[in-house]
Amino acid sequence: MSGNTMKSFIEATKNQTAVRCHGVTKTYGQGKAAVQALRGVDLEIRTGELLMLVGPSGCGKTTLISVLAGLLQRDGGDCSVLDHDYKQMSFNETTRFRGRNIGFVFQTFDLIPALTAAENVATPLLINGVKWPAALEKAGAVLKVVGFDDRMIHSLPTDLSGGQQQRVAVARAMVHDPRMIVCDEPTSALDSESGHMVMSLMRQFALGKDRVLVVVTHDTRIFEFADRIARMEDGRITRIENPPSRGNVPLNNP
Amino acid sequence: MNLIALKMLLGDFTKYAGLLFGIAFTSFLVTFAVSYFGGMMTRSFALIAENPRADVWVMDPAVVAVDSVINLPAADLSRVRSVEGVQSAVPLAVAQADARFPNGRFQSFQVIGVDDATLIGVPPMSGGATAAVLRAPDAVIVDAGGTSGKLETPLLKADQWPRGRPHLDVPMRLLIAGDELLVNDTRVQVAGQSEALPRFPPRPILFTTYSTAEHILLPERRRLTFVLVTTVPGVDAHTLAARIEEATDLRARASDDFKTDTVKWMLANSEDVGDAVTMLSIAMLVGFGVTGVMMFMFTNENLKYYAVLNAMGATTRSLLIMICSQAALCALLGTGLGLGLCVLAGQVFVNYGFPFRMMWFAPVVGGTAVLLVSIGAAAFSGRSVLKMQPASFLAGR
Repeated sequence: MSGNTMKSFIEATKNQTAVRCHGVTKTYGQGKAAVQALRGVDLEIRTGELLMLVGPSGCGKTTLISVLAGLLQRDGGDCSVLDHDYKQMSFNETTRFRGRNIGFVFQTFDLIPALTAAENVATPLLINGVKWPAALEKAGAVLKVVGFDDRMIHSLPTDLSGGQQQRVAVARAMVHDPRMIVCDEPTSALDSESGHMVMSLMRQFALGKDRVLVVVTHDTRIFEFADRIARMEDGRITRIENPPSRGNVPLNNP
Repeated sequence: MNLIALKMLLGDFTKYAGLLFGIAFTSFLVTFAVSYFGGMMTRSFALIAENPRADVWVMDPAVVAVDSVINLPAADLSRVRSVEGVQSAVPLAVAQADARFPNGRFQSFQVIGVDDATLIGVPPMSGGATAAVLRAPDAVIVDAGGTSGKLETPLLKADQWPRGRPHLDVPMRLLIAGDELLVNDTRVQVAGQSEALPRFPPRPILFTTYSTAEHILLPERRRLTFVLVTTVPGVDAHTLAARIEEATDLRARASDDFKTDTVKWMLANSEDVGDAVTMLSIAMLVGFGVTGVMMFMFTNENLKYYAVLNAMGATTRSLLIMICSQAALCALLGTGLGLGLCVLAGQVFVNYGFPFRMMWFAPVVGGTAVLLVSIGAAAFSGRSVLKMQPASFLAGR
């Protein structure tokens, strides 16, 4: 691909809409115990964008990313994720769609303790039917990208620091080249330095031209990594802001 | 994915060991109970097994087992002998009698009277003696018949045939050739000990000749219990049995068929069957309790990771297969451990004279029990995965 062609491809994909939601609602429970977590969310996320969802506890951030990732079914409204509407898909189709197209990074890393770093990273590939040796080989390569050496690749999660574990989680989220990565408080269990390192890695390697990153966070220290910040209150997106100065953090988002 | 499941299982050694223990325990207990029961059933047809020269057993038409007998008229022996294909037919008398020991103690014996001429039916003798010792007048051969401590007589002459009360708490020794017993007020002389197959139910046995049996047993109009038939070479035992039945209206069974009849009768009539079933049920319940709870705890503690795997695209079916793989590994290893342990324990039990016999179906029953327990345990813990919310691991949930 020539330089000009690449540039036009990047421009084209940059403006594609990965997520388009309108009036999304979600209620937990029934009757008097019902809690309306989403009260009509309107949101668009473009490919190549890192969107942060911020807001007070209980405002619906986690529910919204669960709906975006197909972990929860919305009650009302319209929502298209990567040109798919989960409501039109069966439970198993949604699960398989997640396996191919969505990566996850969690607050507590949630690495399987009995598996080595490489085996943890290889899990999404194995789920998608890649054979064990090939999956491990690719997992090792991705772990090297996030700064692991050969010894650490074969370490168990318990032998790794929190920052290292979250790097493994980032590697696991991007090893199968998903088009959307959903992060739930990815830095809240990390110190400032590790949090910065993890977000840098995600911006550098996980956020591609045709990918989208949605990060739920309370951590104001990482706001600078966002392309846009969506503020939520009472189940609605009340404001979308530009982030504070990114300083010298390298961004691959053109 | 299955490899991940197994690594998850092996990574939690405590629960893995607990699961293995539960399944090995089930496998061991079920196989052991079945083998022990098999040993008892084998002993139930010991009289047939220790008469390999008898191809066909002839008896009263009402008799269905070697332990449930009605005697025949003596003339039936001749009727059987007259059937074509019978090479030889000898009488066998089976009865019960109480024998008085020299110290005054009574003991119930099974009395087996064998053919005077051929002595067919006498088991191998201990101490190098032969069945010919029965040719002496009123001679008997004693056998423990699977019991212990029932063939003891006073060590000292002073304690033998006492006047007045029996001498029970005196030094004892085993009966030997030359000792005497009283059977129905007839003094019989012990001519030696035999090495008959242990009986079930266990009981001491007196082997003697048919004529001595008639002499020492209480008078009955009919004494003949079985006619033991040897077939002419080339004649099938089943065919001859059918021919004898047709010619005499008596019941005739080939040796193997009679063993089967006896086991069936024991299964239908013995209270030990109920005990064995109770033991099997308890073994399976305890096994399921241990295995099911361990498996449930293991799955429940790993539910977060199953939810993560589900979020990453693993279908519910894959997760259930993972749980089944874990149960299958435990089942395989647990069965092996349980069976191995059962073989070792069985060897010890056999050495001590207990009725343990591991036949082909014992490991099959043990394996089936383990399979049921494992499926139950997997289904029990799989419910958690089915009810799991894939979003449950997210921080804000």
